[in-house]
Amino acid sequence: MLAFVRKNQILIASCLCVLLSLYIMSAASRGRLRGDPVGPVLLWLLRPLQIAAQATTASVKEIQRSFGTAARYRAENERLKQRILELEAERSRLLEAEATNRRLKELLEFRSQLPARSITATIVANSATTWFESCLIDKGSADGIRKGMAVVTPLGVVGQVVAVSARSAKVLLITDPNSGVDVLVQRSRARGIVSGSLGNGTVMKYVKRSEDVQEGDRLVTSGLDGVFPKGLLVGTVVNVRKHNLGLFQHIEVAPAVDSARSEEVLVVGSAEGS
Amino acid sequence: MKLSLLFFITGLVLVLLQTTFLHLLPLGPVVPDLILVLCVYWGLYHPTLGAVLGSFALGYSVDVVSSPILGLNAFAMSLVFLAVYLSSRNIWIQSPMVSAVVVFLASLIKSLALIVVWLVFLNSEGVVLGALKYLVLEALVAAVVAPFLFAFLRRGQIYLESAAAAAQ
Repeated sequence: MLAFVRKNQILIASCLCVLLSLYIMSAASRGRLRGDPVGPVLLWLLRPLQIAAQATTASVKEIQRSFGTAARYRAENERLKQRILELEAERSRLLEAEATNRRLKELLEFRSQLPARSITATIVANSATTWFESCLIDKGSADGIRKGMAVVTPLGVVGQVVAVSARSAKVLLITDPNSGVDVLVQRSRARGIVSGSLGNGTVMKYVKRSEDVQEGDRLVTSGLDGVFPKGLLVGTVVNVRKHNLGLFQHIEVAPAVDSARSEEVLVVGSAEGS
Repeated sequence: MKLSLLFFITGLVLVLLQTTFLHLLPLGPVVPDLILVLCVYWGLYHPTLGAVLGSFALGYSVDVVSSPILGLNAFAMSLVFLAVYLSSRNIWIQSPMVSAVVVFLASLIKSLALIVVWLVFLNSEGVVLGALKYLVLEALVAAVVAPFLFAFLRRGQIYLESAAAAAQ
């Protein structure tokens, strides 16, 4: 008997523990368990440890909460940054719209001073090489653009249409060496041709040495070339040189219109085929 | 003696962990049942009279700390130890995966035992549905932590046993 118990002591002890716990449960559930001698001892043993652990847990919870708050603030910060970017973009769009509106108004006023036949266009591309000064506008033959028409802005002359397709047209700028605009010095009425010169900026050609041209003189279209309406600003004289030899003066001109900064233009004048 | 001390301290620490730190884990109401893992370990690797009493004492300490009725967890842990002990002769744990599976099954046994006893002694309505909701999740969590705790205990046990053998 003892040998059997010894051999199966674990099994028997386990079964006894199961039965004991069942008895405790049964007694506890019926309220018959008057005194629990083990429970208070266990609690007494665990209490200081649990207090210490709980304090640590509270600290960890606080750290967790702090991290949570920081994460929330980070997310809020990101959201607000994103919002600022959106508002900046919107503000930029509005400023752009306002500027466009102002330019178009000026263009409209300017248009009323021009011959009846004028078409508003937008510059959509600039020259791709340094050899030629040209730009592309978004109106073409379908819109009434013809080769040879003048391209102007309220600030002055831009160039001349040299090629036309159905929905776009190429404009040769007055700063291109191949262009030529018949001009007058507004002050002295001296005549000449404004043209580009590769590497040397824009110049006024064929002005006799005897003609009165000074720095700061304004150059306007003469209207004699049959392309540009009379009286449009072409540029301002920035340098006048008279060489020892030669019939003409060397006059450097600052164009009135910077095509790189222009956006809307008017295409005007009588052109070939029209 | 040293081994018993190791298990006693481990049991104490696990009760502490289970009642404090482990609640910080983002597992909702589920707390990893490390005490169950220890009981399973005892059933597999250290089936002694002390382990039987240890399982009962650990369950009882959980009852004292957090159970609505005394004896509930003591019963469950004793039952788990008994079940693992009885089946330990047929289980040969070679990989952490197997220990995880054993703990998973032991957790299911514990939960089912708790549900049955709960229904018999407490008769709370709706407890079955509530318990079933977390039964598998709790078992999975216990299974995940089991290989780590097993490795720690196994290493400690082997070290102390070999130290004792060397001393003799």
